Order: sequence, then C-alpha cells, then structure tokens
Amino acid sequence: MKFLCVPCDTPMQLQNVAPPERGSLSVVYACPACGYEMAMLTNAYETQVVQSLGVRIGPAENGANTAAKTGSGCPFVSMIPATATDGAAVQQPPRDADAVRWTAAAEARLANIPSFVRPMAKTGIEQFARERGSAEIDEKMLDAAREFFGM
Amino acid sequence: MKGYHDIVGDGGSRVLEQVAEQRGRISEGLAGVRHLVAIGSGKGGVGKSTMTLHLAGALRARGLRIAILDADFNGPSQARMAGVQGALFVPGNNKAALPRTKNGIGVFSMGSLIPESDALDFESTARGESHTWRATREFALLGEILGAFEWGALDLLMVDLPPGAERTVQYADFLGPRTSFVLVTIPSEVARGVVARSVAALSKGPNRLLGYVENMSGYYCRDCRAVKPLFVSPEISSLGIPCLGTVPFDPELARHCDRGMPLTDLPGRPVGQALEQVAQQLLDRLDPTPEASR
Repeated sequence: MKFLCVPCDTPMQLQNVAPPERGSLSVVYACPACGYEMAMLTNAYETQVVQSLGVRIGPAENGANTAAKTGSGCPFVSMIPATATDGAAVQQPPRDADAVRWTAAAEARLANIPSFVRPMAKTGIEQFARERGSAEIDEKMLDAAREFFGM
Repeated sequence: MKGYHDIVGDGGSRVLEQVAEQRGRISEGLAGVRHLVAIGSGKGGVGKSTMTLHLAGALRARGLRIAILDADFNGPSQARMAGVQGALFVPGNNKAALPRTKNGIGVFSMGSLIPESDALDFESTARGESHTWRATREFALLGEILGAFEWGALDLLMVDLPPGAERTVQYADFLGPRTSFVLVTIPSEVARGVVARSVAALSKGPNRLLGYVENMSGYYCRDCRAVKPLFVSPEISSLGIPCLGTVPFDPELARHCDRGMPLTDLPGRPVGQALEQVAQQLLDRLDPTPEASR
C-alpha cells in the first residue's frame, strides 16, 4: 500500500507506527513536500493480514522505535511454555543453584533460531548442561549437544 | 496524478521488501538441496506420511542425504513416526540444527514442538475470523522454517503435505517450479477421484508430477504370508500419470509407525520390498542433473 498527497502529487512517507491496540495499528504518513500528515488506522482483519505475512511495518531493526512489531515473533506464543511474550530469548537472573548462565556468543546463536523453537531449545540445552554438571552454556556446549544428538 | 506503479518504494512500510527478504532466506536455505519432492494426495488418510518416512528410509539406506519437512502443521505425524517427538532443537552457527532419526534423516515436524494433546493455534487480533488469514499465516511459518533450519547439502528434501487438493496446489505455488510431486492414493474410486483432482490442478502449473503410489494395495496376512485384497474396486480409473508402485498394508508397519521404529526392522516383508521398488522408481524419474536454487 502506498499513499499519495494529491495536492502535491508526492508520495507520502511513513513517520511512525504505534503498536497494535485492540487489534488496530496506527500508521502515520507525512507528505515531504507540504508536511501534511495522515494516519492509517487498520481494523483487526487488516492488522491480522499483515501479521500473517510475518513482517513488521516500518523501518528495519535499527530503527525499531518507529517500527511496530506485527508478527515476526513466536506465532503461537501461548502454546509453548517458558517463552517471552515478544518471542525473544528469556533472560532471567540466576534464581537457584540449578541456574545456568549463557555466554554472549551462545546467546547470540540462540537468538538466531526461530522464536517458536527458542524456548524448547533453551530449556533443553540447559538440561543438557546440568546433566553434565555445567553451570555455563557456551558455544562448545552447543556443539557438544549437536554431536551428542547426531545433528 | 501518480498511480501506484509511478511511485518507487513503498513510503517506508517495507512490507514488500520484507516478503522479498523472506523469499531470499528460503532460497538460501534450500541452495544445497538437490531435489525437492513433495508427497501429496489431496485425500486424507491414504498414507502420505507413512510413504514419506519409509521412502526416505529406503533412500537413506542407499546412502542418500535425506531430510523430511512435515508441512502438515495441523496434523503433524512425522515426529511420532520418525521417533523425534520431544527432540532437542540445538542452535547452530546461524540457524537451528535439525533433529535426526537414528538412521540420519533430518526431520522437522510441528509434532516435535506441540504435544498431541494440543492443536496448533496462532495468536490473532482477528480471532473468530481465521478463514481470512490462517492459510497466509501457515505459509509464512513454512517460509520461516525453510529459511531458519540447517537443511544443508541434501540429495532430497521430502515435503510431507497436508490433505486437500487445493492445498496441494498452494504448496506447489509456494515451493516453486523446482518441486516435483508424488501423489499417494489407495485402491478406491473415492480416493482416486480426489487424487485425480490434484493431478488436474497440478497439471496446470509448471511442477513435475513424478507419478503416484497406490498404497494399501491389498494387505499382508501374517498367517498366510501372502498379500490379499483389501478394497474391492475392480475397475479403478486411470490417473494419467506413471504408477511408481503398489504398497500393501501391513499391520506390523502401522505398529512401527506408532512407535517410531524404522522399517529396517521388517526385513523381507512384502511392504518393505514394495517400498524399495517405489524408491527406485522415484530415483529413476528424478532429473539426474543438480538443480539450481529456486
């Protein structure tokens, strides 16, 4: 979808996107020529169609302040235990003697896998590490798990 | 006044750009896959998943590098049959490593993630209207799976399709023209009629139809040690595509599927011999030259 400022005959530019509220996205566009602003307010069906494409509206990740996440996180977050609501890796401080720490490199690898397998992967690897008496998960531990499971 | 096609870019929404990026990730993920073969039917309950798994096993036994993508997200059965229920997903260097069967077949199945006591459900702002968006969401998920797992260098990636003639065509569209199809039917006119619709629909597109397999073509009687008729359909109509073989029903095979045991535990049974023949027919019909990325 594109927007045109009719008086200026100039394509409008996306300014900001508010997070979905009750199923509606608010996307503000402005005309770079005259400064006129307009907001596109989606209904729940329109929001869901965009969500279903697995995309986010707005600038890329480094401009996340103006990007509204519409569906690139875990698509069935409520069905899988131990997941953060945004689908990101769950990062919690150690709470007990069984707590396992992830190194930054291992955590980066975890972040690269799909959000919908991340919670299971995290839980499983931590269990794998505990069974080997380790309180830290680094890249060597991930590689050891791969080898152990024949991957 | 300018029209849609007069305007370069999308004003900053990046929706089309992201969809193109998704397609790029899929192409990159499948770059090492020599043959992409979808196992479909149109009809449910004819043994697509069983055929997929055991053909994969027969091909793996010949030394081929094989992986299975269980694309039936709503009724995934490969996890149980392949013995990867509850498998551990391990982060690789950039993508997720695939769980593997004991004989080295990589398997992705939603059944590894979601217990059989639960059904696949998506978060939605339009709950109650899933008919308007669900298929799109499932294909986006398929794209994410294709792009985010380490498929690596494979001779064959076998895609186990869900039932539905229209779904079969949607998968053909999504997976692209490099995907070849094998259809599974059983010796009944009802099943054959549905599969014929899939043949008709797929024939309108660019995908190759390698042929069909007639499953449950008789049953193996353990006491008689012979294959006996299972369906009484004396005049089965032609599907107009090559028959890759007929495979009898064997209760022992069904038991193996339920328990995630490989077919190699059933040496010398007619079902194993039939699957071997189908595997050879399948290999004979694949283009021998390496295929380019889609």
